[in-house]
Amino acid sequence: MTRADALFVVHGAFEPSLLTKPLKKLCFRVKPAKAAQKFQILDCFDQSIRMSGDALVETPGSLLLFQFSGAVFAQNARGNGAFVQDLPDGAVKSALQGFPKLRALTSIGTGTLRVHEFSVLDGLQKTQVRGRVYALDSEADKISIVSVQRLKGYDSAFSAVCTKLKGLAAKTNGADALFGTLFPDAVPYRAKPGIALGKEEPSIEVATDIIRTFIAVARQNEAGVIADIDTEYLHDYRVSLRRVRSVLSLFKGVFSTEQTIALKHTFSELMAPTGRVRDLDVYLLDKDKYFKILPSELHLGAEAMFAQFEKERLQALGTLSRRFKSAEYDRQLNDLTVLFSDVGSLAPGPNASRGAYGYACALIWKRYRKVCKLARQITPETPDELVHDLRIDCKKLRYLMEFFGPLFDAGDFKTIIKPLKKLQDNLGLFNDCSVQQEALLEFVARQSNSQKRANAQLAMSVGGLVTMLYQRQKSERARVIANFQHFDSPNIRHLFRSLFHHKED
Amino acid sequence: MKIIACYSNKGGVGKTATAVNLAYAYAKAGNTVLLCDLDPQGASGFYLRVKPSKKLTDARFFEDVERFTKSIRASDFEGLDVLPANMTFRDFDVFLSRMRNKRSRLKKALVAAGSDYDVIILDCPPNFSTLSENIFKAADQIVVPVIPTTLSERTFDQLVNFFDQKGLPKKKLRAFFSMVQRRKTLHVETMMVMRKLYRKRFLQASVPFAADIERMGQNRAPVSVYAGRSAASAAYRALYDELENGVVSDK
Repeated sequence: MTRADALFVVHGAFEPSLLTKPLKKLCFRVKPAKAAQKFQILDCFDQSIRMSGDALVETPGSLLLFQFSGAVFAQNARGNGAFVQDLPDGAVKSALQGFPKLRALTSIGTGTLRVHEFSVLDGLQKTQVRGRVYALDSEADKISIVSVQRLKGYDSAFSAVCTKLKGLAAKTNGADALFGTLFPDAVPYRAKPGIALGKEEPSIEVATDIIRTFIAVARQNEAGVIADIDTEYLHDYRVSLRRVRSVLSLFKGVFSTEQTIALKHTFSELMAPTGRVRDLDVYLLDKDKYFKILPSELHLGAEAMFAQFEKERLQALGTLSRRFKSAEYDRQLNDLTVLFSDVGSLAPGPNASRGAYGYACALIWKRYRKVCKLARQITPETPDELVHDLRIDCKKLRYLMEFFGPLFDAGDFKTIIKPLKKLQDNLGLFNDCSVQQEALLEFVARQSNSQKRANAQLAMSVGGLVTMLYQRQKSERARVIANFQHFDSPNIRHLFRSLFHHKED
Repeated sequence: MKIIACYSNKGGVGKTATAVNLAYAYAKAGNTVLLCDLDPQGASGFYLRVKPSKKLTDARFFEDVERFTKSIRASDFEGLDVLPANMTFRDFDVFLSRMRNKRSRLKKALVAAGSDYDVIILDCPPNFSTLSENIFKAADQIVVPVIPTTLSERTFDQLVNFFDQKGLPKKKLRAFFSMVQRRKTLHVETMMVMRKLYRKRFLQASVPFAADIERMGQNRAPVSVYAGRSAASAAYRALYDELENGVVSDK
């Protein structure tokens, strides 16, 4: 672990003369730099590390984490392509706690690094402050990170050095200065970019804006799917297309009937080839969980099953990557981008010119009433189908609220969405358990011979898993009523009514 | 936490050099070390280029934890801090025992200030006083440099007698021969006699009379830093090994 108590980012090439001017009665001594090293800045696709104000630098064999609030951590490990939780234990790993588990580290950019050590000495040649200059060069520009270490009992020298460096340092936040200078083109990816809406904006424009935005988001994920960096790329790709599809189905009458049908078909065709890879991703991500459910006697069958899943995933991903790389796919997506770049090229429906705010209130209110009606019917005896329907309606309500969010008070929305999300998580788990049981049974069926006989190990493992999933599904279902009652509180009812239902309209 | 006192009731025996080099050896082995300069004539701080801070002599300081932690200075060496103050107040043993007690205010303040030390090394003044008696009580080990001459032999006898009179545990006394000149018959003979007389008190390691050690005043650093391959540097390392790990060097 490299200790540091303050960090400064200084633009431009590092000149030892910047530091060597004496400071009061102290003098700087800068050691010549060790040999230059190649470095790469690592982060995940949405640049979580940069967003939290830090920067992770990999040099051959080691990782350096700069926390611009004033700390540097070092660890010998390789980072590119790794998940943080899979790094060997060390200072960098523990400082990165809270980093998204599903995101892998990838290279944001490369360059060369030179490290100069310096010390600040008093008249007795006693070191009063120690520090390091990390001089980073990329193709675009140069920047230096200066770390300063406080030595016990020499606080005034430390503050004097910090004051001097503050005068030289960049005024922006350290991580942004670093990324912006070295890699100005590395714009962080946003899965849910903010879309500005006007209250009186015609609904067809709102729909077009949302669809255009999410086609762009989906496209940003293609390269990550092809490179198979982590499973979130494909997940985000699918979520973006699902948002597009929900706009098409929820914004009724915004586009002409023919156009709506055609677009729904197009986007459903785009989504279909991704389904199998995502299903397999989900099983493989839960692999550890499945093994924990099963007693060790049944692990053999489960291992065979996951080996089969892994093989199948590689094949499915290969097919999908070829599709993403094909000229035909590229042309199709480019055409869609062009289509949604201008409202004029789309055929309007009867609701096309309705003002966004009024339209939003009507849609959300209607969907909310539908959710309540459905949920209030649910008793322990109602068939599972109704619970599945409730899940889908909750999802639609949530999408509507997210699309039109910018038109309403953020605080009110937060109050509503919190219990809604809890209900949705509950319904989601209920659904996952049911889908997974079906998939497992189907998997065994496929592995069986013509007499419907399957390998005993495999069948035992799947039998164990299906039983557990069935129990889990039952217990999730039992929670639905309570979670809905929480969402159906007088306060939330009142909020819905006051936000979306205006009788005088 | 371990407290090691470097003590001699005779001056000029290489006590301060022992304190500084031993402290450096402990820090080098990965310990966090606080070297306390208690000897008004001593120069532990001087050897490490740390300017003396204001005297911390008044009894109230005893309660003034903050002033104590603020007086600590980092040396130029990883893990080695210096308290360059003459802490000559009474009840020093109570103070030391508070440093050891996990629940005391002093200990908590030290931990909070990042000064939770594994080892405290005391460079003690060369006399019999309430302070030295307190140190004998509080220290885990008392390292005593002895020059193998008749005069030093007498002072070591006095020290052992003092321990007997006061009922202090002699087990704590870890003496070693310092400034040894093997060409001198007197040195060799005195060493033989004293080892026989105080078989359990003397360590096997001894430190030679060496120009490298005298040069500490010019270099203002532990011997191992500027003369890492010298006999003197090896001798201090052997002293550390024997004290800490009971390992007797075969050199």
